[in-house]
Amino acid sequence: MLKRLVIAATIVGLAPLSLAGAAWAHGPSRQKVTETVEINAPADKVWKVVGNFQDMSWLPVVAKTEGTGGNNVNATRTLTLKNGGKIEEQLDKYNAEDHMYAYEITKVDPKVFPVNDYSSHITVSADGDNKSTVTWWGGFYRGYMLNDPPPDLNDAVALKAVTDLYKSGLAALKQKVEAGG
Amino acid sequence: MLKLGLGLAVLNGTAFPALAHEALLTAQSADSLSFVDLDTMKESGRISVTGKPAGIALSPDKKTAYITAPDSQDLIEVDAISRTVKRRLHLGGGPLGIAAHPTRPEVYVADWYTHKIHIVDVTQMAVIGDIKVGDSPSGLAVTPNGKLLLSADRDSDAVSIVDIATRKVLASIPVGKRPFGITIDDQGARAYTANVKSDDVTVIDIAARKVVGSVPTGRRPYAVALAQGRGFVTDQYGGTVTAFDQTTLAPIKRIDTCDHAEGIEADADEKNVYVSCWGEDVLLRIDAQKLLVTGKAAVADGPRAFGTFLR
Repeated sequence: MLKRLVIAATIVGLAPLSLAGAAWAHGPSRQKVTETVEINAPADKVWKVVGNFQDMSWLPVVAKTEGTGGNNVNATRTLTLKNGGKIEEQLDKYNAEDHMYAYEITKVDPKVFPVNDYSSHITVSADGDNKSTVTWWGGFYRGYMLNDPPPDLNDAVALKAVTDLYKSGLAALKQKVEAGG
Repeated sequence: MLKLGLGLAVLNGTAFPALAHEALLTAQSADSLSFVDLDTMKESGRISVTGKPAGIALSPDKKTAYITAPDSQDLIEVDAISRTVKRRLHLGGGPLGIAAHPTRPEVYVADWYTHKIHIVDVTQMAVIGDIKVGDSPSGLAVTPNGKLLLSADRDSDAVSIVDIATRKVLASIPVGKRPFGITIDDQGARAYTANVKSDDVTVIDIAARKVVGSVPTGRRPYAVALAQGRGFVTDQYGGTVTAFDQTTLAPIKRIDTCDHAEGIEADADEKNVYVSCWGEDVLLRIDAQKLLVTGKAAVADGPRAFGTFLR
Protein backbone atom coordinates (compact mmCIF):
# COMPACT_ATOMS: atom_id res chain seq x y z
CA MET A 1 0.00 0.00 0.00
CA LEU A 2 2.74 2.36 1.01
CA LYS A 3 4.66 1.50 -2.15
CA ARG A 4 1.61 2.24 -4.24
CA LEU A 5 1.17 5.60 -2.56
CA VAL A 6 4.78 6.50 -3.25
CA ILE A 7 4.42 5.59 -6.91
CA ALA A 8 1.17 7.54 -7.21
CA ALA A 9 2.79 10.59 -5.62
CA THR A 10 5.65 10.34 -8.08
CA ILE A 11 3.35 10.23 -11.08
CA VAL A 12 1.51 13.32 -9.86
CA GLY A 13 4.79 15.05 -9.12
CA LEU A 14 6.20 14.38 -12.55
CA ALA A 15 3.02 15.03 -14.51
CA PRO A 16 4.07 18.46 -15.89
CA LEU A 17 7.17 16.87 -17.43
CA SER A 18 5.16 14.45 -19.49
CA LEU A 19 3.35 17.14 -21.47
CA ALA A 20 6.07 17.04 -24.06
CA GLY A 21 5.96 13.26 -24.51
CA ALA A 22 4.25 10.02 -23.71
CA ALA A 23 2.96 9.90 -20.15
CA TRP A 24 5.08 6.89 -19.15
CA ALA A 25 8.25 7.60 -21.03
CA HIS A 26 10.62 8.44 -18.20
CA GLY A 27 14.29 7.98 -18.95
CA PRO A 28 16.65 7.22 -16.07
CA SER A 29 18.41 10.03 -14.25
CA ARG A 30 20.91 9.88 -11.42
CA GLN A 31 19.39 10.07 -7.94
CA LYS A 32 20.93 10.93 -4.61
CA VAL A 33 20.12 10.39 -0.98
CA THR A 34 21.67 11.85 2.18
CA GLU A 35 20.78 10.68 5.67
CA THR A 36 22.37 11.75 8.94
CA VAL A 37 22.23 10.69 12.57
CA GLU A 38 23.53 12.37 15.69
CA ILE A 39 25.30 10.04 18.09
CA ASN A 40 26.16 10.76 21.71
CA ALA A 41 29.74 9.57 21.43
CA PRO A 42 33.07 11.02 20.29
CA ALA A 43 33.80 10.81 16.54
CA ASP A 44 36.80 8.52 17.14
CA LYS A 45 34.64 6.00 18.92
CA VAL A 46 32.03 6.00 16.14
CA TRP A 47 34.75 5.69 13.50
CA LYS A 48 36.08 2.59 15.26
CA VAL A 49 32.74 0.93 14.50
CA VAL A 50 32.03 2.17 10.97
CA GLY A 51 35.55 2.91 9.74
CA ASN A 52 36.59 -0.65 8.94
CA PHE A 53 35.66 -1.37 5.31
CA GLN A 54 35.97 -5.09 6.02
CA ASP A 55 33.38 -5.14 8.78
CA MET A 56 29.79 -4.15 8.05
CA SER A 57 28.43 -5.96 11.10
CA TRP A 58 26.93 -2.70 12.37
CA LEU A 59 24.41 -2.82 9.51
CA PRO A 60 21.50 -5.05 10.63
CA VAL A 61 20.71 -6.53 7.19
CA VAL A 62 24.28 -7.82 6.75
CA ALA A 63 25.05 -11.38 7.85
CA LYS A 64 28.66 -11.57 6.71
CA THR A 65 31.45 -9.36 5.32
CA GLU A 66 34.23 -11.02 3.33
CA GLY A 67 36.90 -9.11 1.49
CA THR A 68 40.49 -8.38 0.64
CA GLY A 69 42.72 -5.33 0.68
CA GLY A 70 41.85 -4.01 4.13
CA ASN A 71 41.18 -0.28 4.07
CA ASN A 72 43.35 0.44 1.05
CA VAL A 73 41.89 2.05 -2.07
CA ASN A 74 40.61 -0.66 -4.47
CA ALA A 75 39.98 -3.06 -1.56
CA THR A 76 36.92 -5.22 -2.15
CA ARG A 77 34.27 -6.77 0.02
CA THR A 78 31.27 -9.03 -0.51
CA LEU A 79 28.32 -8.48 1.77
CA THR A 80 26.07 -11.47 2.32
CA LEU A 81 22.70 -10.28 3.50
CA LYS A 82 20.53 -12.10 6.00
CA ASN A 83 18.05 -12.82 3.19
CA GLY A 84 20.83 -14.52 1.20
CA GLY A 85 21.42 -11.71 -1.31
CA LYS A 86 24.98 -10.69 -2.12
CA ILE A 87 26.46 -7.26 -2.85
CA GLU A 88 30.01 -6.78 -4.14
CA GLU A 89 31.70 -3.48 -3.31
CA GLN A 90 34.98 -1.67 -3.85
CA LEU A 91 36.70 1.01 -1.78
CA ASP A 92 37.36 4.22 -3.76
CA LYS A 93 38.65 6.60 -1.12
CA TYR A 94 39.74 6.21 2.50
CA ASN A 95 40.61 9.08 4.79
CA ALA A 96 41.05 8.04 8.44
CA GLU A 97 42.00 11.55 9.49
CA ASP A 98 38.71 13.01 8.23
CA HIS A 99 36.76 9.89 9.21
CA MET A 100 35.50 9.30 5.69
CA TYR A 101 35.44 6.50 3.18
CA ALA A 102 33.86 6.23 -0.26
CA TYR A 103 32.89 3.02 -2.01
CA GLU A 104 30.89 1.72 -4.94
CA ILE A 105 28.82 -1.34 -5.71
CA THR A 106 30.56 -3.35 -8.40
CA LYS A 107 27.96 -6.11 -8.64
CA VAL A 108 24.42 -6.51 -7.39
CA ASP A 109 21.20 -8.06 -8.63
CA PRO A 110 18.52 -5.32 -8.81
CA LYS A 111 16.21 -7.82 -7.08
CA VAL A 112 18.53 -7.64 -4.05
CA PHE A 113 19.03 -3.87 -4.11
CA PRO A 114 17.19 -2.02 -6.93
CA VAL A 115 19.99 0.31 -8.06
CA ASN A 116 22.62 0.71 -10.78
CA ASP A 117 25.94 2.56 -10.78
CA TYR A 118 25.74 3.08 -7.04
CA SER A 119 28.46 4.98 -5.22
CA SER A 120 28.45 6.17 -1.65
CA HIS A 121 30.39 7.64 1.21
CA ILE A 122 30.16 7.60 4.97
CA THR A 123 31.53 10.45 7.06
CA VAL A 124 31.78 10.87 10.82
CA SER A 125 32.19 14.48 11.97
CA ALA A 126 32.74 15.64 15.53
CA ASP A 127 30.21 17.93 17.22
CA GLY A 128 32.31 18.78 20.27
CA ASP A 129 34.02 16.14 22.40
CA ASN A 130 31.17 13.78 23.10
CA LYS A 131 28.88 14.09 20.13
CA SER A 132 29.20 13.30 16.47
CA THR A 133 27.19 13.28 13.28
CA VAL A 134 27.31 10.43 10.82
CA THR A 135 26.39 11.23 7.22
CA TRP A 136 25.65 8.47 4.72
CA TRP A 137 25.39 9.65 1.14
CA GLY A 138 24.60 7.73 -2.03
CA GLY A 139 24.38 8.47 -5.75
CA PHE A 140 22.79 5.90 -8.09
CA TYR A 141 20.46 5.11 -10.93
CA ARG A 142 17.29 3.07 -10.54
CA GLY A 143 17.36 -0.71 -11.06
CA TYR A 144 16.04 -0.54 -14.63
CA MET A 145 18.25 1.48 -16.98
CA LEU A 146 15.97 1.65 -20.02
CA ASN A 147 12.95 3.89 -20.52
CA ASP A 148 9.58 2.93 -19.03
CA PRO A 149 10.70 1.03 -15.91
CA PRO A 150 8.50 -1.66 -14.37
CA PRO A 151 6.92 -0.36 -11.14
CA ASP A 152 9.28 -2.36 -8.91
CA LEU A 153 12.41 -0.90 -10.55
CA ASN A 154 11.57 2.79 -10.99
CA ASP A 155 13.18 5.90 -9.48
CA ALA A 156 10.82 5.99 -6.48
CA VAL A 157 11.59 2.38 -5.55
CA ALA A 158 15.35 2.97 -5.77
CA LEU A 159 15.10 6.12 -3.66
CA LYS A 160 13.00 4.34 -1.05
CA ALA A 161 15.33 1.33 -0.86
CA VAL A 162 18.42 3.48 -0.31
CA THR A 163 16.67 5.86 2.10
CA ASP A 164 15.29 2.97 4.16
CA LEU A 165 18.70 1.26 4.28
CA TYR A 166 20.46 4.45 5.41
CA LYS A 167 17.82 5.33 8.00
CA SER A 168 17.66 1.88 9.55
CA GLY A 169 21.45 1.45 9.36
CA LEU A 170 22.20 4.77 11.03
CA ALA A 171 19.59 4.15 13.75
CA ALA A 172 21.19 0.76 14.49
CA LEU A 173 24.64 2.33 14.51
CA LYS A 174 23.52 4.94 17.02
CA GLN A 175 22.03 2.29 19.26
CA LYS A 176 25.12 0.09 19.05
CA VAL A 177 27.62 2.87 19.77
CA GLU A 178 25.62 4.48 22.56
CA ALA A 179 24.89 1.12 24.24
CA GLY A 180 28.53 0.14 23.95
CA GLY A 181 29.43 2.65 26.71
CA MET B 1 35.95 36.30 -30.62
CA LEU B 2 35.54 38.40 -27.49
CA LYS B 3 35.81 41.61 -29.47
CA LEU B 4 33.28 40.43 -31.99
CA GLY B 5 30.87 39.55 -29.22
CA LEU B 6 31.12 42.95 -27.59
CA GLY B 7 30.77 44.67 -30.96
CA LEU B 8 27.55 42.84 -31.68
CA ALA B 9 26.22 43.71 -28.28
CA VAL B 10 26.82 47.41 -28.91
CA LEU B 11 25.14 47.22 -32.33
CA ASN B 12 22.17 45.52 -30.77
CA GLY B 13 21.94 48.30 -28.25
CA THR B 14 21.73 45.82 -25.39
CA ALA B 15 23.12 46.59 -21.99
CA PHE B 16 24.52 43.07 -21.72
CA PRO B 17 27.69 42.00 -23.42
CA ALA B 18 27.12 38.87 -25.47
CA LEU B 19 29.77 37.07 -23.47
CA ALA B 20 29.02 37.36 -19.83
CA HIS B 21 31.81 35.22 -18.39
CA GLU B 22 29.44 32.82 -16.79
CA ALA B 23 28.77 29.12 -16.42
CA LEU B 24 25.45 27.45 -17.21
CA LEU B 25 24.96 24.34 -15.12
CA THR B 26 22.30 21.75 -15.84
CA ALA B 27 21.06 20.92 -12.35
CA GLN B 28 19.49 17.54 -12.96
CA SER B 29 18.02 16.85 -9.53
CA ALA B 30 16.61 20.38 -9.23
CA ASP B 31 15.14 20.47 -12.77
CA SER B 32 16.94 23.80 -13.18
CA LEU B 33 19.63 25.66 -15.00
CA SER B 34 21.98 27.58 -12.68
CA PHE B 35 23.92 30.62 -13.95
CA VAL B 36 27.21 31.36 -12.17
CA ASP B 37 29.10 34.65 -12.54
CA LEU B 38 32.69 33.47 -12.97
CA ASP B 39 34.23 36.78 -11.89
CA THR B 40 32.59 36.71 -8.48
CA MET B 41 32.02 32.92 -8.32
CA LYS B 42 28.43 33.46 -7.21
CA GLU B 43 25.23 32.02 -8.62
CA SER B 44 23.57 34.94 -10.42
CA GLY B 45 20.33 33.25 -11.41
CA ARG B 46 18.40 30.03 -11.73
CA ILE B 47 15.59 29.06 -14.10
CA SER B 48 13.30 26.07 -14.25
CA VAL B 49 14.24 23.56 -16.96
CA THR B 50 12.18 20.41 -16.47
CA GLY B 51 12.86 16.88 -17.71
CA LYS B 52 16.05 16.28 -15.64
CA PRO B 53 18.49 18.31 -17.74
CA ALA B 54 21.99 16.84 -18.18
CA GLY B 55 23.84 17.51 -21.46
CA ILE B 56 24.59 21.03 -22.70
CA ALA B 57 26.11 22.73 -25.73
CA LEU B 58 26.31 26.42 -26.58
CA SER B 59 25.68 27.99 -29.97
CA PRO B 60 28.79 29.42 -31.72
CA ASP B 61 27.88 32.96 -30.55
CA LYS B 62 27.25 31.51 -27.08
CA LYS B 63 23.92 33.27 -26.82
CA THR B 64 21.88 30.08 -26.91
CA ALA B 65 22.17 26.90 -24.86
CA TYR B 66 20.95 23.53 -26.10
CA ILE B 67 20.16 21.12 -23.33
CA THR B 68 19.22 17.44 -23.26
CA ALA B 69 16.66 16.16 -20.78
CA PRO B 70 16.87 12.34 -20.47
CA ASP B 71 13.75 12.01 -18.33
CA SER B 72 11.37 13.86 -20.68
CA GLN B 73 13.60 12.92 -23.66
CA ASP B 74 13.65 16.44 -25.02
CA LEU B 75 16.07 18.88 -26.54
CA ILE B 76 15.56 22.26 -24.91
CA GLU B 77 16.63 25.62 -26.30
CA VAL B 78 17.45 28.32 -23.75
CA ASP B 79 18.20 31.97 -24.54
CA ALA B 80 21.25 32.50 -22.32
CA ILE B 81 20.91 36.28 -22.37
CA SER B 82 17.25 36.65 -21.39
CA ARG B 83 17.49 33.39 -19.44
CA THR B 84 14.31 31.92 -20.83
CA VAL B 85 13.34 28.55 -22.29
CA LYS B 86 12.52 29.21 -25.95
CA ARG B 87 11.64 25.90 -27.57
CA ARG B 88 11.40 22.22 -26.76
CA LEU B 89 11.77 19.36 -29.19
CA HIS B 90 10.64 15.91 -28.13
CA LEU B 91 13.18 13.36 -29.34
CA GLY B 92 12.21 10.18 -27.47
CA GLY B 93 14.83 7.50 -26.80
CA GLY B 94 17.73 8.44 -24.55
CA PRO B 95 19.15 11.86 -25.42
CA LEU B 96 22.25 12.80 -23.41
CA GLY B 97 25.45 13.89 -25.19
CA ILE B 98 25.22 17.02 -27.32
CA ALA B 99 27.45 19.24 -29.45
CA ALA B 100 26.88 22.31 -31.62
CA HIS B 101 28.41 22.94 -35.05
CA PRO B 102 30.77 25.98 -35.23
CA THR B 103 29.11 27.45 -38.36
CA ARG B 104 26.09 25.41 -39.46
CA PRO B 105 22.80 25.93 -37.61
CA GLU B 106 22.99 22.35 -36.35
CA VAL B 107 23.29 20.54 -33.06
CA TYR B 108 23.97 16.84 -32.70
CA VAL B 109 22.29 14.77 -30.01
CA ALA B 110 23.47 11.28 -29.11
CA ASP B 111 20.76 8.75 -28.38
CA TRP B 112 21.90 6.30 -25.73
CA TYR B 113 19.30 3.64 -26.60
CA THR B 114 18.87 3.75 -30.35
CA HIS B 115 22.62 4.06 -31.01
CA LYS B 116 22.40 6.98 -33.36
CA ILE B 117 23.06 10.68 -33.48
CA HIS B 118 20.20 13.01 -34.30
CA ILE B 119 21.02 15.96 -36.53
CA VAL B 120 18.85 18.84 -35.38
CA ASP B 121 18.38 21.92 -37.55
CA VAL B 122 18.04 24.64 -34.93
CA THR B 123 16.45 27.18 -37.27
CA GLN B 124 13.42 24.88 -37.59
CA MET B 125 14.11 23.05 -34.31
CA ALA B 126 13.57 19.76 -36.11
CA VAL B 127 15.44 16.49 -36.63
CA ILE B 128 16.66 16.45 -40.23
CA GLY B 129 18.59 13.19 -40.14
CA ASP B 130 20.14 10.44 -38.07
CA ILE B 131 23.58 8.90 -38.14
CA LYS B 132 23.98 5.32 -36.97
CA VAL B 133 27.09 4.95 -34.80
CA GLY B 134 28.34 2.41 -32.21
CA ASP B 135 26.46 1.35 -29.08
CA SER B 136 25.25 3.92 -26.56
CA PRO B 137 26.90 7.03 -27.93
CA SER B 138 27.51 9.48 -25.08
CA GLY B 139 29.95 12.38 -25.42
CA LEU B 140 30.06 14.28 -28.75
CA ALA B 141 32.54 16.85 -30.08
CA VAL B 142 32.98 18.68 -33.38
CA THR B 143 36.40 19.61 -34.80
CA PRO B 144 37.00 23.40 -34.84
CA ASN B 145 36.93 23.44 -38.67
CA GLY B 146 33.44 21.94 -38.58
CA LYS B 147 34.31 18.96 -40.75
CA LEU B 148 34.19 16.05 -38.33
CA LEU B 149 31.91 14.93 -35.53
CA LEU B 150 33.37 12.53 -32.97
CA SER B 151 31.17 10.28 -30.87
CA ALA B 152 32.28 8.34 -27.79
CA ASP B 153 30.35 5.08 -28.29
CA ARG B 154 30.28 3.93 -24.71
CA ASP B 155 29.18 0.33 -25.05
CA SER B 156 31.32 -0.32 -28.14
CA ASP B 157 34.50 0.89 -26.39
CA ALA B 158 35.15 2.99 -29.49
CA VAL B 159 35.02 6.45 -31.01
CA SER B 160 33.17 7.04 -34.28
CA ILE B 161 34.51 9.70 -36.64
CA VAL B 162 31.69 11.14 -38.74
CA ASP B 163 32.07 13.30 -41.84
CA ILE B 164 29.57 16.08 -41.23
CA ALA B 165 29.09 17.05 -44.90
CA THR B 166 28.15 13.54 -46.03
CA ARG B 167 26.80 12.30 -42.67
CA LYS B 168 28.90 9.16 -43.10
CA VAL B 169 30.93 7.31 -40.46
CA LEU B 170 34.51 7.34 -41.70
CA ALA B 171 36.07 5.23 -38.98
CA SER B 172 35.54 3.58 -35.62
CA ILE B 173 38.58 3.65 -33.37
CA PRO B 174 38.87 1.27 -30.40
CA VAL B 175 39.66 3.13 -27.16
CA GLY B 176 39.60 2.24 -23.43
CA LYS B 177 36.62 0.65 -21.72
CA ARG B 178 33.35 2.60 -21.74
CA PRO B 179 34.35 6.03 -23.10
CA PHE B 180 32.00 8.76 -21.87
CA GLY B 181 33.19 12.34 -22.29
CA ILE B 182 35.17 13.38 -25.39
CA THR B 183 37.11 16.60 -25.98
CA ILE B 184 38.98 17.85 -29.07
CA ASP B 185 41.92 20.26 -28.86
CA ASP B 186 41.86 23.76 -30.44
CA GLN B 187 43.89 22.60 -33.44
CA GLY B 188 41.52 19.74 -34.16
CA ALA B 189 44.51 17.43 -34.00
CA ARG B 190 43.76 15.19 -31.03
CA ALA B 191 40.73 13.89 -29.18
CA TYR B 192 40.66 12.73 -25.57
CA THR B 193 38.11 10.27 -24.19
CA ALA B 194 37.42 9.64 -20.49
CA ASN B 195 36.97 5.88 -20.12
CA VAL B 196 34.66 5.13 -17.23
CA LYS B 197 35.54 1.46 -16.77
CA SER B 198 39.27 1.36 -17.51
CA ASP B 199 40.10 4.44 -15.40
CA ASP B 200 42.08 6.13 -18.14
CA VAL B 201 42.01 8.65 -20.96
CA THR B 202 42.61 7.55 -24.55
CA VAL B 203 44.36 10.06 -26.82
CA ILE B 204 43.49 9.86 -30.54
CA ASP B 205 45.29 11.41 -33.50
CA ILE B 206 42.22 12.45 -35.48
CA ALA B 207 43.83 12.78 -38.94
CA ALA B 208 45.72 9.49 -38.64
CA ARG B 209 42.67 7.85 -37.03
CA LYS B 210 45.00 6.21 -34.53
CA VAL B 211 45.39 5.96 -30.78
CA VAL B 212 48.60 7.68 -29.72
CA GLY B 213 48.52 6.87 -26.03
CA SER B 214 46.61 6.78 -22.79
CA VAL B 215 46.74 8.40 -19.37
CA PRO B 216 45.85 6.68 -16.09
CA THR B 217 43.24 8.62 -14.07
CA GLY B 218 41.37 8.34 -10.79
CA ARG B 219 38.31 6.16 -10.38
CA ARG B 220 35.60 6.49 -13.03
CA PRO B 221 36.74 9.35 -15.23
CA TYR B 222 33.86 11.36 -16.70
CA ALA B 223 35.09 14.16 -18.95
CA VAL B 224 38.22 16.02 -20.08
CA ALA B 225 39.19 19.71 -20.35
CA LEU B 226 42.33 21.12 -21.98
CA ALA B 227 44.30 24.19 -20.89
CA GLN B 228 47.90 25.40 -20.99
CA GLY B 229 49.21 22.20 -22.54
CA ARG B 230 47.61 20.14 -19.84
CA GLY B 231 44.63 17.86 -19.66
CA PHE B 232 42.19 17.84 -16.74
CA VAL B 233 39.97 14.85 -16.06
CA THR B 234 37.06 14.68 -13.63
CA ASP B 235 37.24 11.44 -11.64
CA GLN B 236 33.61 10.89 -10.77
CA TYR B 237 34.00 8.26 -8.03
CA GLY B 238 37.53 9.25 -7.04
CA GLY B 239 36.39 12.78 -6.15
CA THR B 240 39.47 14.21 -7.84
CA VAL B 241 40.64 15.93 -11.01
CA THR B 242 43.63 14.26 -12.67
CA ALA B 243 45.96 16.76 -14.37
CA PHE B 244 48.30 15.45 -17.09
CA ASP B 245 50.80 16.76 -19.62
CA GLN B 246 49.41 16.78 -23.18
CA THR B 247 52.85 16.18 -24.71
CA THR B 248 54.25 13.41 -22.52
CA LEU B 249 50.81 12.12 -21.41
CA ALA B 250 52.29 11.75 -17.92
CA PRO B 251 50.02 12.48 -14.95
CA ILE B 252 51.13 15.63 -13.07
CA LYS B 253 48.84 15.75 -10.08
CA ARG B 254 45.59 14.42 -8.68
CA ILE B 255 43.71 17.41 -7.30
CA ASP B 256 41.24 16.77 -4.48
CA THR B 257 37.98 18.34 -5.65
CA CYS B 258 34.55 17.07 -4.72
CA ASP B 259 32.06 14.28 -4.73
CA HIS B 260 31.12 13.25 -8.26
CA ALA B 261 33.14 15.77 -10.20
CA GLU B 262 31.45 15.65 -13.62
CA GLY B 263 31.29 18.36 -16.30
CA ILE B 264 34.58 20.20 -16.83
CA GLU B 265 35.63 22.96 -19.22
CA ALA B 266 38.52 25.42 -19.60
CA ASP B 267 37.98 29.14 -19.82
CA ALA B 268 38.70 30.84 -23.20
CA ASP B 269 42.01 32.23 -21.87
CA GLU B 270 42.85 28.81 -20.38
CA LYS B 271 43.73 30.35 -17.02
CA ASN B 272 41.16 28.30 -15.15
CA VAL B 273 39.13 25.15 -15.55
CA TYR B 274 35.69 24.85 -14.02
CA VAL B 275 34.29 21.66 -12.53
CA SER B 276 30.68 20.83 -11.88
CA CYS B 277 30.19 18.76 -8.71
CA TRP B 278 27.04 16.67 -8.91
CA GLY B 279 27.39 15.29 -5.39
CA GLU B 280 28.04 18.55 -3.58
CA ASP B 281 26.01 21.00 -5.68
CA VAL B 282 28.89 23.37 -6.36
CA LEU B 283 30.95 24.73 -9.24
CA LEU B 284 34.70 24.69 -8.52
CA ARG B 285 37.40 26.80 -10.16
CA ILE B 286 40.85 25.25 -10.60
CA ASP B 287 43.89 27.34 -11.48
CA ALA B 288 45.29 25.51 -14.53
CA GLN B 289 48.86 26.63 -13.76
CA LYS B 290 49.00 26.17 -10.00
CA LEU B 291 46.68 23.14 -10.01
CA LEU B 292 44.80 24.37 -6.98
CA VAL B 293 41.12 24.90 -6.26
CA THR B 294 40.72 28.67 -6.03
CA GLY B 295 36.97 29.23 -5.99
CA LYS B 296 33.64 27.64 -5.22
CA ALA B 297 30.05 28.59 -5.97
CA ALA B 298 26.92 26.95 -4.57
CA VAL B 299 24.40 26.00 -7.28
CA ALA B 300 21.11 24.11 -7.66
CA ASP B 301 20.86 20.42 -6.74
CA GLY B 302 22.72 17.90 -8.89
CA PRO B 303 24.72 19.92 -11.47
CA ARG B 304 25.95 17.71 -14.35
CA ALA B 305 27.03 20.17 -17.06
CA PHE B 306 27.91 17.36 -19.47
CA GLY B 307 29.29 19.23 -22.48
CA THR B 308 30.28 22.86 -23.02
CA PHE B 309 28.83 25.25 -20.49
CA LEU B 310 31.03 28.39 -20.28
CA ARG B 311 30.25 31.66 -22.03
